[in-house]
Amino acid sequence: MTSDDIEIRHLTKRYRGGAYDRPALQDIDLEIPHRRFVSLIGPSGCGKSTLLRVMAGLTVPDHGRVSLFGRTPREMCRRKAIGLVPQTPALLPWLNVRQNIALPTLVNRRRGTSHESTDDLLRAVGLEDSAHRYPHQLSGGMSQRVAIARALGLRPDVLLMDEPFSALDEFTREALRMQLLELWQRRATTVVFVTHSVHEAVVLSDRIVVMSARPGRIHDVLDVDLPRPREREVVSDSRTHEVEGRVRASLRSAWSSGINPTELVAP
Amino acid sequence: MNTEVIGPSATATPPDPERAPTERRFRGRSVFHPFVWLPTTVLLLILGAGWTAVAEAHPYILPRLGEVGRTLLENPALFLGNAWATLSIALTGVAVGAVSAFVLAVLMSEVPVVRRALMPIAVVLNVTPVVAITPALVVAFGFGMAPKVIVTAIITFFPVLINVTTGLSSVPPTVLQVFQTLNASRWEVLLRLRLPGSLPYTLAALRVVLPLSVVGAVVAEFVAAGSSGGLGTMIRNSASTARLDFVYAAVTCLAAMGLTMLALVTAIEHRVLFWHESRRHSSG
Repeated sequence: MTSDDIEIRHLTKRYRGGAYDRPALQDIDLEIPHRRFVSLIGPSGCGKSTLLRVMAGLTVPDHGRVSLFGRTPREMCRRKAIGLVPQTPALLPWLNVRQNIALPTLVNRRRGTSHESTDDLLRAVGLEDSAHRYPHQLSGGMSQRVAIARALGLRPDVLLMDEPFSALDEFTREALRMQLLELWQRRATTVVFVTHSVHEAVVLSDRIVVMSARPGRIHDVLDVDLPRPREREVVSDSRTHEVEGRVRASLRSAWSSGINPTELVAP
Repeated sequence: MNTEVIGPSATATPPDPERAPTERRFRGRSVFHPFVWLPTTVLLLILGAGWTAVAEAHPYILPRLGEVGRTLLENPALFLGNAWATLSIALTGVAVGAVSAFVLAVLMSEVPVVRRALMPIAVVLNVTPVVAITPALVVAFGFGMAPKVIVTAIITFFPVLINVTTGLSSVPPTVLQVFQTLNASRWEVLLRLRLPGSLPYTLAALRVVLPLSVVGAVVAEFVAAGSSGGLGTMIRNSASTARLDFVYAAVTCLAAMGLTMLALVTAIEHRVLFWHESRRHSSG
């Protein structure tokens, strides 16, 4: 065991009063190597978002241990070492783009971590011309870029992304994926990315964790051996399609293993 | 528990971020366009004609409009002085009621015990017709400003309390999660998230409560009509001597007062809430 990785051991999380009283997460064991891009994918209800929230210190597990580079999630929060990009951009509507990006530096100031300059961040996400606009003047894609810049600003050890592109149209998604890849390749932080898009997981990740539902378990871990940096050509490569095929096959078996035949009959 | 919210409706869905703000149908048409002012003007003329017809036939039901206008113009100092007396009661009452409600709302949102202790009492206070205790307050505090300010403060208290409480808890969970992963303190969450987020609700409460404060002040003056002036006192005294022109002149002053307050809140909303959904289409 090294403290250089993210390690999750015997993690179980149960929501009281949930349907069937099955754990949302059962006995999860997972290792995420330092500076890798890892996607969590699976059918709805497989607990991938819950797993992300546990890593972010927002949800306390019932059993098990989560170690982010040798520290607990709450310790990481205190050090401002976690960058969170939620499903919705979650920007403050009364702050403009620049102020939203700079927000993390204003909160929990005692922890004076180093941070990227706001100008650099604005340039990195291509919003230098929109610095003074307010969230209601931005498109969905622009808002999510602001959220990503805000999360990257503190040079976090781990970037946790919860289906960040799911509300966007396909063209915007594609553009944001490429931009995220570029941002990540420059910064080389560890990314845990929750998605329900197979293509997205393959294009972005080094490793794909396939989860099954009811109870939420890890079904399979697939390595993506596509070359980096991944340009647009790689994205439409036949090898990409081959990996996508493997992920889809794995998801199919995860789906059939996760559902008890009796549950398919309406009660 | 009855938690009726006024203002930015909690049920309104946030606008689709991908869609450009829809053009307002009548956008660009100024107040001077007949489309805007004509319907109201026609209606006012009809109502005025009806009023005049009644006033000519039965001067003890309605005074002539010309008389009301003349009364106003001939006694400007009298009306201004009494209006100021009523206004100062209303504003003092709002200041006391709204500020204490705001502080209590913040306390309630931060300390659950305070919320559980206060909420039932506040609800009971709200359903009690507070003007009914005015005579008792006059007995206790005399004919000065105190009982009138107290009544006004109590009337304005509840809408502010409920609205600010709702506003403070209307923080989107995802934003809160971002703050939690930054290990923001409760104070930081309050200052940077909850308080600015509650601003639309606070201003919506003021929109209701400022005109309400005039109602409170006038009713208190009816009951405690004493040495001090005020439009309420004036209305009561004029009515008892059947001077309807004075009554309606005073009512006109009250309406003007309410309109000014509303215009003031609207101006503040326009300036401060440029980011909020309620302002989005109306700001140019």
